Amino acid sequence: MIRSPIPVGRHTHISLLLLSLLCILGFCASCTKKPDTGEDVKVTTLGSIEVTAQLLEIRGKIINDPLYDYAHVMKYKVLQVHRGKVDGDIIYVGHYNPAEPRSSVADARVREIGGNLRKFKAMDIQRMALEVPIDDYYMGGIINKYFGESKDPIYWAIWTNLVIK
Amino acid sequence: MEIAVKNHFGIFTFVVIAGIALFAGRTLAVNSQPSGKYDDPRVAELAEEVCKKGWIVYAARALKGDWDLFTMRPDGSDINNITNTPMFNEGLPRFSPDGRRISYRRIAVSESFDNNLHGMQGELMFADSDGGNAAVFGGEGEYTWASWGPEGKRIACMSLKGIYFVELATKKEIGRLDRRGFFQQLSWSPDGKWLCGVANSFGSSWSVARIEIATGAANAVSSMNNCTPDWFGDSQHLIFSYRPANQENNEYGWTQLWMADAEGKARTLVYGEDGRHVYGGAVSPDGRYVLFTGNMQEDGDASGSGAPMGLMRLSDAPTIGGQSKALRKVHGATKDGPVLVLPDGWEPHWTYCELGAAK
Repeated sequence: MIRSPIPVGRHTHISLLLLSLLCILGFCASCTKKPDTGEDVKVTTLGSIEVTAQLLEIRGKIINDPLYDYAHVMKYKVLQVHRGKVDGDIIYVGHYNPAEPRSSVADARVREIGGNLRKFKAMDIQRMALEVPIDDYYMGGIINKYFGESKDPIYWAIWTNLVIK
Repeated sequence: MEIAVKNHFGIFTFVVIAGIALFAGRTLAVNSQPSGKYDDPRVAELAEEVCKKGWIVYAARALKGDWDLFTMRPDGSDINNITNTPMFNEGLPRFSPDGRRISYRRIAVSESFDNNLHGMQGELMFADSDGGNAAVFGGEGEYTWASWGPEGKRIACMSLKGIYFVELATKKEIGRLDRRGFFQQLSWSPDGKWLCGVANSFGSSWSVARIEIATGAANAVSSMNNCTPDWFGDSQHLIFSYRPANQENNEYGWTQLWMADAEGKARTLVYGEDGRHVYGGAVSPDGRYVLFTGNMQEDGDASGSGAPMGLMRLSDAPTIGGQSKALRKVHGATKDGPVLVLPDGWEPHWTYCELGAAK
């Protein structure tokens, strides 16, 4: 029988140590993500309204159906108004084809739209360039699970960047 | 004579034959050739009944591969390519109320029609109903979602900024309405009082809804997953496609042909078939028959080569095609009348008038 020159127990200890180090490094890397206000030339110039807002809720399932384009209305708490005016600190924003990363969402129907946000996640903070009401800027299917609950105007998201605190 | 696509005796025919034979104890041989030979006497009778009732116009792939417009008799005979334009794709043909003219949209052959954007693509065209005197009415992307007015002298259009009415002789805008969440497939009622279309302002996307032109008031006719609405001649009912939720063994669901009163009080199944998405419903001018397409692929009409068109009596509604076990569980009492299968096409429309401007 061939015996391992290093006892099995020692192998295990080394592996665990390396794994722990990797975890700590990964955790630190994620903790040290550079703060980002989401500001860029697009979000600060497109649309008539610019806000930083927290995504409170994505009501309903985000549908990923390549055959149909639609806007999905999401609920936000406005943290800061950079340009223009919004009605109240809770706003409802329609995002076009939200299953798509903002960087690749523009298409033949909606050309000037984008941002760096990859995925919509509740409680994330985003900086958005907006217009209102949505019907003046977008003619297509809208999924609005707040219908009948809120009579507030629906905002139309033109540019959406992730904010990192 | 150029025939659009000859493969219209395919699976759809088989499914219709098998289904009706199974449930009605008969064997059909649906045949769209003008030979007058139908194995099922009910289909033969239907073909005989409709063959002289005017003309159907529809878009289909020509032999060269582009989309052209075709006319045929309602039994599928006497097919004529009325555009013959290899450099362009044509679609969305609609007869004027007097049947003398057609409107349609034309795009470059290098482009494809999109099932949800087709009314906004390319140029709005008008021609005599036999294809003669074709002329461009507006530029690229103008006069979108155009629909004939009741006397054929005006059209209603819809764009991002609202619904507007245009006098054809002068091209002047003569009125405007808020679009109230309507976003596609606008259609003006025969009595001139209403518009119907697909809207998202009634708590769900893709509702079929109508607007009263005089007041701008809108109401939902059928909510959730509806499209391709069109008017009955009485202006009080709509035919449309509807994909009910929670279909057995099918999360996405099959789209079916339904009708409803325009107040939205009651909707009923007209034709459904598990395995087919039924779109493009168009009622005959007297409201006795209905045309539709049945595609196995969702959104396949515009992106593919159209789908087999079907024609049935509305007095035979509801009819279910094929085995459709799941659908039959939901709709127990169906009439399963004969369905005349017609060539592959997209968005057919029907007039009882003879073709051509002078007729």
